[in-house]
Amino acid sequence: MLKLILSRSLQGVAVLLIISFLIFTLITRAGGDTVSMRENQYASQETREAIRRLYGLDRPLMERYWNWVTEAARGDLGDSLIFHTPVWSLIRLPLLRTIVLTACALLIAVSLSLSLGIAAARRAGSLTDRLCSVIILFAASTPRLVLALLALAFISSTPLLNVVGPTTNSATEVWTFRVIPPAIILSVPIIALFLSQTRVAIREALDEEFVCVARARGAPEWMVLLRHALRPALGPLIAILGFSLGGVMSGSVMVETVMGWPGLGQLLVSAVETRDLPLLLGVTLVAAAAVMVGNLAADVLQRMNNPRLR
Amino acid sequence: MKNDNWKMENKRWRRQLRALRGRGALMVGSIIIVFFCLIAVFADLIAPYDYSSLSRREPFAPPTTIRFRDAQGRWQARPFIYARRLVDPATQRYEEITDRAYPLELLTHGYSYKLLWLFPTDLHLFGPRVEAGVESPRLYALGSDRFGRDRFSRLLMAARYSLLIGPTGALLASALGVLIGVIAGYVRGWTDAALMRAADVILALPNLVLILAVRATFPPGLTPGSAITLMLTIFVLLGWGEMARLARSLTQELRQREYVVAAVSLGCSPARIIVRHILRNAALPLIAHALLILPAFLLAETALSFLGVGLQEPEASWGSLLTAMDRNLFKRGHVLAELSPALAITLFVLGVRLLGAGLGKEGMEREKIREYENHEEAKEANRKRA
Repeated sequence: MLKLILSRSLQGVAVLLIISFLIFTLITRAGGDTVSMRENQYASQETREAIRRLYGLDRPLMERYWNWVTEAARGDLGDSLIFHTPVWSLIRLPLLRTIVLTACALLIAVSLSLSLGIAAARRAGSLTDRLCSVIILFAASTPRLVLALLALAFISSTPLLNVVGPTTNSATEVWTFRVIPPAIILSVPIIALFLSQTRVAIREALDEEFVCVARARGAPEWMVLLRHALRPALGPLIAILGFSLGGVMSGSVMVETVMGWPGLGQLLVSAVETRDLPLLLGVTLVAAAAVMVGNLAADVLQRMNNPRLR
Repeated sequence: MKNDNWKMENKRWRRQLRALRGRGALMVGSIIIVFFCLIAVFADLIAPYDYSSLSRREPFAPPTTIRFRDAQGRWQARPFIYARRLVDPATQRYEEITDRAYPLELLTHGYSYKLLWLFPTDLHLFGPRVEAGVESPRLYALGSDRFGRDRFSRLLMAARYSLLIGPTGALLASALGVLIGVIAGYVRGWTDAALMRAADVILALPNLVLILAVRATFPPGLTPGSAITLMLTIFVLLGWGEMARLARSLTQELRQREYVVAAVSLGCSPARIIVRHILRNAALPLIAHALLILPAFLLAETALSFLGVGLQEPEASWGSLLTAMDRNLFKRGHVLAELSPALAITLFVLGVRLLGAGLGKEGMEREKIREYENHEEAKEANRKRA
């Protein structure tokens, strides 16, 4: 277990280094930095030079990158070019909000797909089973972007919901109702993924001999389902959960932007719009790191669930 | 004997029927996709107006009502429309002017374009009849946008871009993934380990975040050509992981098969074995999986265009049309017209999913039939030997 965590952490650091280097190089070579943005095209040559000197953009690429890496290793991701505050202080709260949103979405997806999966797997071809197939097809085909826009229109046209809708921005409300609509939207495509997985896994488990034995022993049906069929189905579910974290993070960019959840995704979009390099780098790396940590956690969980993997 | 034959016949017939019923998804999926492809190819012909032509006096117009019955209550054989006037710019309320009816016709004349990018023509599928000296009102099948552009025409042209970028990206990324996967599975050893580790890393990362970050490093305003090239490059570099994993596992499995071992022992070159023996047998599951990952590429393009960093105005993609979608659509009415880009995306993705699921099932069915036939053959051989 320790070996796994160590090797994964090393790998993660290497990946973060590669990503940051790529973005650093690209932003210098491809000419998308803040100074050459559209707003500045009327500035005189001297002004541009002065701005470049001010932010240290006139230095050689490798020197700037080395400076950034050594600072980042100490936990200082630099200052935002637009907000003029440390990047980490800008990221901290949105990161927390995105984690809450993602956790809620995963919770919804797992609980719904487990209960529906058990119900569908009990009898192949039953009404529940066929209903699940339809749910899977439509949940997998409707993009989150479309769902989020629809949900927003629905919320804004329903007076009752509009009270808790994503309009206010006070800190206290962050933890309550406002997370529910975006979490539901975020969870829809992963419900399809999880549901199809659990349905197959539970059906396979129900065919196993230990289930037959448990039934023969006279165990009640709920116990057979929850204790004998669910446990082997959990392994693949956790694997897929870890696998889907990247997709959930990607999806949360769209959902947050559309539904006004002030998380990491929204911050990323604003950083892209303003070409705020330090902020962009910070958000990208933190998002990638969060996903990798989640992946590692899923792997550790899977090993704990299945003793054969230990 | 005769009875036996009939039984066999009956069995086969039943199997075919079952296979056909299982192909419903395949059929529906192909129909949807062919429909969208036709729309993309003939977008110019179907669209009544140029997708970028403005009509400043008609912003946010609701869909034009096509009428058969005029203001006096008389029925007309030919459908017609009335001209409209913007009564209240604040609420975008329009009123029909019922003085004069403008009849519609099929195959009317409009802006000139090249049909199938070859034949210059100005023929359009439908529109108000062109009469000399009369300026007929524009027919907005889905209403007009902020600048008074015809949303129906824009939706059709957007299909062209969206169906170009998403599927092409998926195709190129799949090709790269299959190449890498087959090499990894065939060569094995440390090449395999390194390539698969890279695939794992790429798969685990939040793709859209990286796509956005990379897109941000390029200047904001790009011409359609360079925007498409840039998007395709990013998609290919970040999207090959899944196909590589599948291609690798298929290659590893097929390598063990007798015919591959035979080919190796005959001294065939690795390239020949890979192309003739491995790729040919792995084709169906690979194609089915490529269809499975295609929506992700389409949606990535939609997301970029929605955020304004994909295709730039006046070029239209389904994503940028979604940006223009009214946030109060349930209050203003014309919900379907407002939702049309969303419906188009969803329907296309549904078609791709159905086709992919159908193909996957087809592959399994074929495998099953092959196994069954092998089984029967073995039985036959045993009987003969006895």
